[in-house]
Formats: sequence, structure tokens, C-alpha cells
Amino acid sequence: MSPPDALRQPIELDLFEGPFDLLLTLVLRDEVELLEVPLLEVVTASLGERARERWDTDTAGELIVLLAAMAELKARRLLGEPGEEEPDADTLEARERLAARLVAYAPFQRAAGWLGERARDCAGPRYRRVALAGAAPPPPPAEDAVRLREAMLPLIAAPPAPSLSHLTSRRVSLPAALARLQSALARARSVSFDALTAGLEPLEEAIALMAALELARRGDVTLTQPEPFGDIAITGSGR
Amino acid sequence: MSELARQVEALLFLSPEPLPLVTLCEIVEESPGAVQRALAELGERHGPEAGLEVAEIAGGFALRTRADLAPVVDRLRDRPSEDRVSPAALETLAVVAYLEPISRPQISRLRGVSVDSTVVSLLDRGLLEEAGRPPDGGAMRYRTTRLFQERFGLRKAGDLPPLENFELTGPEAERVRRHLVEAGHLPEGEGPADDE
Repeated sequence: MSPPDALRQPIELDLFEGPFDLLLTLVLRDEVELLEVPLLEVVTASLGERARERWDTDTAGELIVLLAAMAELKARRLLGEPGEEEPDADTLEARERLAARLVAYAPFQRAAGWLGERARDCAGPRYRRVALAGAAPPPPPAEDAVRLREAMLPLIAAPPAPSLSHLTSRRVSLPAALARLQSALARARSVSFDALTAGLEPLEEAIALMAALELARRGDVTLTQPEPFGDIAITGSGR
Repeated sequence: MSELARQVEALLFLSPEPLPLVTLCEIVEESPGAVQRALAELGERHGPEAGLEVAEIAGGFALRTRADLAPVVDRLRDRPSEDRVSPAALETLAVVAYLEPISRPQISRLRGVSVDSTVVSLLDRGLLEEAGRPPDGGAMRYRTTRLFQERFGLRKAGDLPPLENFELTGPEAERVRRHLVEAGHLPEGEGPADDE
């Protein structure tokens, strides 16, 4: 069976959506008169205004290269440039790729033509589409009201208030931490931060650090930390 | 008409969708051979002079009205005549039919044009359906439906001519290539087709 050829059917430009179906049809019908091809429409159809939402970067890039090849071909036709010079390798490659895409797409375009004929041939018969009604679902078993009430009660009872007993609130105080640090400094000229905060919770440790920073800001102490994450020596400035 | 043929006729009449041979065999509790003979008998009974015909379509058998009666039976049906499938929709259907399951980006890539709206309308019309996502994640894939098979007169899924039948012949492919590769570099009026 030789497939009916969609490419022999009349073209109506409006019906074409993309560069490939249009260009392929024109080329195969020896009508690759690019002067007649509405490039803008083709580009708009392919890339469109919302191209970024519709294409991944690779595909969009590939399409742009192909469309650029078409645009360049058309430009050369318009200018009527004589063909002595050889095009550069990139240009030739882009055109070869455009041609390869067209050849790869052609079978689907022809298959679409075949489908179109099938649709016309098979448009006549009508099918019965009435769904068969099955038996109605059985009615729910009769229950007495008391049992229904019993079943319903647990569902509508208010849920117990959640217990907060496992949550404790910890109060920390910056003045207290300051006082603690100052009294430690009264006893010794230099205090180790690690020693000062040994056994404390992270939050208390953080407050102790804030206290040290506060004293450093006031100029009461200097802080030295030889290595990152290492111990901090808090040294009173002796004022 | 044999008893079995009568049973098969009744089943085809009532069924809302084409009945596969196995289903028929299960219902009437007969062998496939016997059911096929009954179907053939039924086919003879519903010859061209009858209003109905037995058709093997969309993976099963159906009793449907004959094509020439469409104008009459459509007066009964409260619907416009079958809406046309646009060329863009046909090409999208062709791509899906041969490559299913296939995702929208894959179709777009092949067609060189966004197919989002086309796919949505084909889904709405029941000609395409979702076919799940690939196991490794990724875009939803689509396939053609049984309605597609009915609409295009296909006996079962994949009842299509081999795609190779539609490929360009060597000379045609070469013509496309030469037109595009050389077109920009020839003086006006000296088309590449001339030197064939």
C-alpha cells in the first residue's frame, strides 16, 4: 500500500504551525521560495511570547539556531548575493542540521496525512455509547437510633486539650550573665570562656557570649580566640 | 442464525464499547473459534443492505451504523457532525501514535513548535490520555486512546502502517538537503533543482 501523500495536498499557510511542517512542505513541492515564507509568523509560532515557559534551554537554543539558518537563507535570497564565496563551516552545519530535522520529521507529517484520510474514510459509522446501568447499590442496613447515637457520640466529642507538661520555659537574663562574668573577673584577671560556661545549656552559653561581647564593647575586657571554635580568653583590661 | 450468533448479536448491540474476542468467549462460554464463526455469521447477516454492520475496531467487535446512514442517524443524535481534526492536531496525533508514551517536550522538540494547547485539546476530545510519568521522574507522558482507534478506524492499538513507509525516499531527502544547504548561495533563477 502506498501511503497517500500529505505533501501533495494544497497548502494553506494559516494551517501551519511550526517551521518544520511549513518548510518541509515547501521544499518537497519545489516551492522553497523563502521570499514567500512569513518568517516572523514562523518564529512567533515556534518561540512565541511565552517561550521561556514552554521550552527548556537546550531545545530553545536548538530552535533558535534552526530559525537563524532559515532567516539567513532568506536574507541571502533577498539580497540576491552571487554564490562564489564558500559559506563558513558553522553556517553549513546549521543548514545540514535543519535539513536533518526536516528529513526526520517528514514521516510523521506523512503519517498525519494518512491519519487524515482515515478520519475521512471512517467518519460515517456511529457507535452506541449508552453505558449499561448496573443494579442499584444495596440500601444501607436499617439501624436503630440508639446504636447510631452511640456510634456518633465519640466522633462529635470535643477532643481533650493538648498537654503542655513536656514544655518548660527557660528564663535567661543578660544582667545576670554580666554579673556572673564580672564577679569571675574580680577573682581572676583572665577567665576561660569554656570554663565559665562548662555545663551550661546552649542558650545560657549564648547569653554568656553576649555578656562577654557587651563587656568588650564597653572596653572592660579584651577577647582573644587563637583559633576558630577554640576557647576564648576573657581578659580584664584592668581599669 | 445459530443460537451463538444470536447471543453475540445481542451482546454487541448492548455493549457501550467494542467487545474483545476474549470477553465474548467468557460471556457465552464458548471457544474463540466458535465465537469467530458466530461473528462471521453475524457479519453476513448485516450485509451492505442492512443498517448495521459488525466491525472489528479498537481492540474488539462492535455493531455500528453503516457509514452511508450518517446523515440520517445524526438527525437523531443531538450533536453536530464530527468536528474536524486540524493539521496540527493530526501531526501531533501521528507523533504520539508512533512514539507513545511520549511527553509534551518530546513532541514539541520533534515538531519544532509548542504543542501544549494542541495536546490539551486532544486530551479534552478524548483522543489522547495520560500514560504516567517515567520511573525516573520527568514530564507526564501521553498515549492515544481507544476513541482514537475508533475515530481513525484502527483495529487495535498500534494498527498503523510501518513508519518506514512514510520516510522520504533517498532522492527526496537529498533534495531537501541540497535545497537548504545550497539555497542561499545560488544566484537568482538558478535553483538547485535545475541541475537534476
